[in-house]
Amino acid sequence: MMKRIAVAVIAICAPLGAQWLDYPTAGVPKTPAGKPNLQAPAPRTADGKPDLSGIWDNNRRGTAPVPIAEGVFPLGASSVGWVDFGAGLPGGLPYQPWAAAAVKQRKAAFGKDDPTSHCLPLGVPRLLVDPEYRKIVQVPGLLVILNERDAGYRQIFTDGRPLPVDPQPSWNGYSSGKWEGDTLVVQTNGLHDGMWLDRSGSPITDSAKLTERFRRPNYGTLEIEVTMDDPKAYTKPWTVKLNEFIVLNTELMDYICNENEKDTTHLVGK
Amino acid sequence: MTKSVILLVVAIAVPLSAQWLNYPTAGMPRTADGKPNLSAPAPRTADGKPDFSAVWEMEHTRPCPPNGCDDTPSSQEFLNLAPRMKDGLPLQPWAAELSKARTAPPKTDEPITNCLPVGIFELYTHATLRKIVQTPGLLVILAEYNASYRQIFTDGRPLPVDPNPAWNGYSTGKWDGDTLVVQTAGFRDGIWLDTSGHPLTDAAKVTERFRRVNYGRLEIEITVDDPKAYTKPWTITLNEMLAPDTDLLDYICLENEKDRAHMVLK
Repeated sequence: MMKRIAVAVIAICAPLGAQWLDYPTAGVPKTPAGKPNLQAPAPRTADGKPDLSGIWDNNRRGTAPVPIAEGVFPLGASSVGWVDFGAGLPGGLPYQPWAAAAVKQRKAAFGKDDPTSHCLPLGVPRLLVDPEYRKIVQVPGLLVILNERDAGYRQIFTDGRPLPVDPQPSWNGYSSGKWEGDTLVVQTNGLHDGMWLDRSGSPITDSAKLTERFRRPNYGTLEIEVTMDDPKAYTKPWTVKLNEFIVLNTELMDYICNENEKDTTHLVGK
Repeated sequence: MTKSVILLVVAIAVPLSAQWLNYPTAGMPRTADGKPNLSAPAPRTADGKPDFSAVWEMEHTRPCPPNGCDDTPSSQEFLNLAPRMKDGLPLQPWAAELSKARTAPPKTDEPITNCLPVGIFELYTHATLRKIVQTPGLLVILAEYNASYRQIFTDGRPLPVDPNPAWNGYSTGKWDGDTLVVQTAGFRDGIWLDTSGHPLTDAAKVTERFRRVNYGRLEIEITVDDPKAYTKPWTITLNEMLAPDTDLLDYICLENEKDRAHMVLK
């Protein structure tokens, strides 16, 4: 039990602040009563596209997964998606037999070999369900996602460039996005072999092709529909819908996993 | 000797690439023969401010060894932030002692050797690339080293009174003509400014003056006021040079890291 606690602590601990950052977010629509109007329309950039910029939180607990469309389920809470990315899917993620065996072994070992237990990057798309905040910075031609987790970034190019044919494998892969109406459709390849999608150890291989559809239905909500096509690890492509919620009047506080790190030597599994 | 070589490797190793990224930089002025015109004027944003957005690398200030340059040579300033300062940085006596102790073999406590963040100075001097993304209220610096970022707020907010101490501190910037003047406080104690172990303490206040001299060069004048570690404020100037037609490749220091276990002198 102690071992399990050690694993959980290293995965989710966040910094204690001397002072929470509370500078007011600019341009928040307000209700007549002066409260933030999260139902207001999404803001738009100068070129008329929806502006996805904002600080986003996936850490809403207690929301039951309700199907959005046939076969498409929201995770509802990052605590669920963090543990099992396919928690909302009937029957769970469609693992290939070796992947199901890997997940079983990884769970039994309390996630000892989870990259995040060793302060390695979470990678894409797991960063989207990270309990720590993320911030989207949208400029013409580029979307940057900054993550409190290891003060890390991910770039999504929106300048029309193609995906590279043989990209350097990396935790975030290489991402290129195109607008389809008000939805930003992002394709990613070049993911690092051996990544974990969640705490259960659902694998990602270097054959993975990821499609994310970002949509901001109102001021307060960001919907991301994640479709994973990784035939090495899964018997068929699958789709999970995530919701992120705007966080106002705050800022990112960097969390450096490797700082004063004392836990890994205690990760003995069982 | 082998051991000091190991230390160097962990500090500067970079990934081997399947494919270098070579997508053309948009809007880059070119000369008649198609080469980047790096002496063209700096671009400007819609609001008329100079635009610092680009991929940048540290000016190569060290001569290459006789057998040729490395792919990613370290700058002189990475080794010593003030190589041209006649008497060196004005260290307080304890800080001079500390630098000496820090750099004595086996030098195992250097943050970069332990894959920790490098802070805002080695962020500029590290051999890997960095990229500036400039928006009207925010400047973001993305760094290949540990695929990390730094934020500089340019929306007029004040510095927090008691910020959470951080490797990058907390930064706000204001335009002074074509120069962005950035104030930073809230540093975590124990930062190394360079591999010489020059310290930065939690008393430090740093002022950076960013100026894009021309298309190809970003000049950053840095003034450090850290009375705990230095007898007086001091100023240096760094040059970042444009890296055309490429982009960042993340370097995750901890990935497949095998060196730390060997960092023992005897």
